[in-house]
Amino acid sequence: MTLHTALREEFTAPRGKFTPAYYRFLGMRDHIRAPLPLLRAYGVEGLFSRSGTHIHKNDLIVGCLRGASYTGPAEVLEHANRFVTSLGKREFWTNDSHFAPDYAYVLTRGLPGLYEDIEKSRAAHADSPDRLQTLEGMSIALQGFGRLIANYAAAAEGLCGLEGYDDHRLVFISQNCRALLRAAPATFAEGLQLVWLCHTAFMLEERGAMALGRMDQYLYPLYAADIAAGRLTDEEAVELLCNTFTKIPTSDVVNICIGGTNADGTTAVNGLSRCILRAVRTCNAPGPNLSARISKETPEDFLLACLESIGTGLGYPALMNDEVNIPALLRMGYEKEDVYNYCMVGCIENFLAGQQPAWSDGRFDVPRFIDYVLNGGISTYNRSVGITRTAAEDISSMKEFMSLLEAELSVGAAEYCASFNAKNGGIRQDALPSPFLSSFCRECVERGLDINNGGTKYPSAHGAVLMGVGTMADSLAAIEKVVFTDRSATLSELRDALAANFEGYDELHRTLLAAPKYGNNDDFVDKYAVWFLDFLAGEFDRFHTPDGGRFYVAMAANVQNIYAGRHIGATPDGRRAGEPLSDAASPTYGRDTRGATSTLLSVSKPDYTKVACGTVINQKFSPSMFEGDKLKKLAALVRTYFARGGQEIQMNATSRETLIDAMEHPEKYPTLVVRVSGFSEYYVRLAREVQLDILSRTQHE
Amino acid sequence: MDANIANIQHFSVGDGDGIRTTLFFKGCNLRCPWCHNPETLSAAPVTLAYPHGAQDCGRRIPEAEILAELMEDADFYRESGGGVTFSGGEVLLQAQAAQSLAARLKAAGISLFVDTAGCAPFSAIEALLPYADTWLFDYKTASPQKFREVIGGDLALVEENLQRLLARGAKVRIRIPLIPGFNTHAEDVALICSRLKEFGITEVDLLPFHRLGSGKYEALGLVYAYRDTPPQMPEEKARLRALYETHFTVTMES
Repeated sequence: MTLHTALREEFTAPRGKFTPAYYRFLGMRDHIRAPLPLLRAYGVEGLFSRSGTHIHKNDLIVGCLRGASYTGPAEVLEHANRFVTSLGKREFWTNDSHFAPDYAYVLTRGLPGLYEDIEKSRAAHADSPDRLQTLEGMSIALQGFGRLIANYAAAAEGLCGLEGYDDHRLVFISQNCRALLRAAPATFAEGLQLVWLCHTAFMLEERGAMALGRMDQYLYPLYAADIAAGRLTDEEAVELLCNTFTKIPTSDVVNICIGGTNADGTTAVNGLSRCILRAVRTCNAPGPNLSARISKETPEDFLLACLESIGTGLGYPALMNDEVNIPALLRMGYEKEDVYNYCMVGCIENFLAGQQPAWSDGRFDVPRFIDYVLNGGISTYNRSVGITRTAAEDISSMKEFMSLLEAELSVGAAEYCASFNAKNGGIRQDALPSPFLSSFCRECVERGLDINNGGTKYPSAHGAVLMGVGTMADSLAAIEKVVFTDRSATLSELRDALAANFEGYDELHRTLLAAPKYGNNDDFVDKYAVWFLDFLAGEFDRFHTPDGGRFYVAMAANVQNIYAGRHIGATPDGRRAGEPLSDAASPTYGRDTRGATSTLLSVSKPDYTKVACGTVINQKFSPSMFEGDKLKKLAALVRTYFARGGQEIQMNATSRETLIDAMEHPEKYPTLVVRVSGFSEYYVRLAREVQLDILSRTQHE
Repeated sequence: MDANIANIQHFSVGDGDGIRTTLFFKGCNLRCPWCHNPETLSAAPVTLAYPHGAQDCGRRIPEAEILAELMEDADFYRESGGGVTFSGGEVLLQAQAAQSLAARLKAAGISLFVDTAGCAPFSAIEALLPYADTWLFDYKTASPQKFREVIGGDLALVEENLQRLLARGAKVRIRIPLIPGFNTHAEDVALICSRLKEFGITEVDLLPFHRLGSGKYEALGLVYAYRDTPPQMPEEKARLRALYETHFTVTMES
């Protein structure tokens, strides 16, 4: 058994209940009369310094939530929970999770450097009580983090000589942790240890989807120095990375970004990029959500290695096109130097590490607006309401239909933004500081401002996730073809057929299904996908988040297409009521029948430089596509698709037969990992409807 | 000029270099009982009646329309070193239409492979000779009797065409379908090998048997003679591979 598989067994063994509120409470109680922002900082300090440590027997890199498990009287825990809850907390829509810290800053400065920066800033803001208090909060939180590191060092030392533990590894751990207390990390192992302890601290704070960002860039100087000095081999680096990745909970989505392009246009792929790819492949677990930034300059061997990793069935990495994402982010007004350093948080969402508040998104279900246009503004399916007052009988051209639809979408987008802003801006930003997160952002420290109170270089961004481009394009093409071109049905007949969920309208249903479908390189229908993105990106572009940031659009679904579909009646593309919408930015599964090249020609038509948040294109290939000579053809497919303006592609490589067998005999496939959407997951743990959705994806070759 | 086309298959990655689009010409003059494209055999249109719906196969398509569809994937051909493959059916039965298309493709700088059973007058081959980069040439059996009785063709014509093609310096890849019971006995293989060596062949592609076309026979209301023949097991493939490898450099489809 290898070290990381032994570690996985330890890691997945039953554990106590995670009770972070108790330790927050302990920290707060000692300073119960402190002003609210500082009280919260003391809560973080207590959480870090007083929750216990846990070192696995097979650990090389430490950091685990298992110590934060309170087993005392239930009444005490209840009181702690009640008190901590009463102070309120940030949530997803108020910028709490989905964040990538600026680890380059943290690694360069080290813990002592971070203290120093805070002290310098305190001196500079001596005349501003608010800023001084914010900086004091950061300092308190950081001291708690320092104690967490010291606790791990002491714990490792205390375990030496105990049965089942390896003293060499414990000494290694202790030395790394002690070194971090004294200075900035000087080796790859120290750097990785610091990053993982930071991440552990964020998990203790209960933040989800915290990204590790561009590990192959910010850890590279330490890696390269170790390699050059002969202190480290690639095998050892992979071992350390595996030891770290194994500890990522499978319930989390921790994005790691490798590869990419430097601002001078050269490739950023290096030896560490390859080590990380190998480590993720070796771990073969859903936890580390790997993304690879690809450009024209990406070396062929690296792209092939990415595809090989995908071909194991793991589905990692997702491939991101730098030549689209970089222009898309430049359009947002970010500076070039920052843009070239972008990474992803969560599944695929583009992010500037440490330079913007935590990210959020929400679903914008586009196909429901067709319902309003056809039914005079009130859905017959779920009685939801739009603005159309024209009867279907009075809509006499496609042009007229589109202008009514655009009016609906325009108001719908405005409603969406108003709701979000009310929620996001409805809290007092200064009353809910994030002192620990802020201490990791250079600008927050310099300005003495919290991350959500103007501290970051750029304001927040909120992603409106546009659902159902395939359903929309197919529906509009069907209306144009069947109603306004062939005139084989009237718009009111279509409306009635949809209301009846096609019961009694078999002939019309067949006609609608026979209309051109998105994903076959047919401009008749593809033009509506182009319109979809142009129009909606333009609409959301008009709004700002409460802190002056931007609304931008995403085309990703994360299986939400299934749940969105449940609330939407039958659509003119022939989809029946309640069925899933098309997934992410992909065509409706099974309707792109002309092969992968045609699918990708269609899908690369919309202008994704308007999608600063990110897109997902799910494609399924038979496992044989990832073997021998065909792998190179797949690489050429990706390169051509990217050259034509595709933004993203992620692939599934598990055969249909295996998926069906795994549904029938889940016990045979406990470790089968498949690409779901912006992430991978153990197949047997997925809900049946999600399993079926993956099964239904068009399989190429 | 129109061509009688059964299907245009984009993203063909099984046969030939790079990403290709395969143009299946409709109509064939042989009747291999294992054929996996039975819908391409007759020159007349046919309907495949699948349980989930009917699918028509075969129509005359104007050259410009075919060409436009083939050119859609030009970027993919360029990046992957791929191109277009003429297949069928038997492309040589529509040599004139094929030649005209081939000339247009050549002019556009697109690589062309021609996949043929080679059982047609040499003039048909000659028509495509200036445009085809590679010939995928089937060699199914070295027995004239089997060729006549099972497949319904003239092996002598095929062999003569092959020799003339080679003599003209064409790039030819010999493809041998491995059909259980038809050409897989050691004696069959020995005969094929000695014959191909006479022609100076040094490399062969082996195509293991599969019955993926079985559903199409049902949809056409036909009985597939190989319906109950299982695909070759890895050991059987290895045995055949080893037999051919004593004489040739072998490529085998997985």
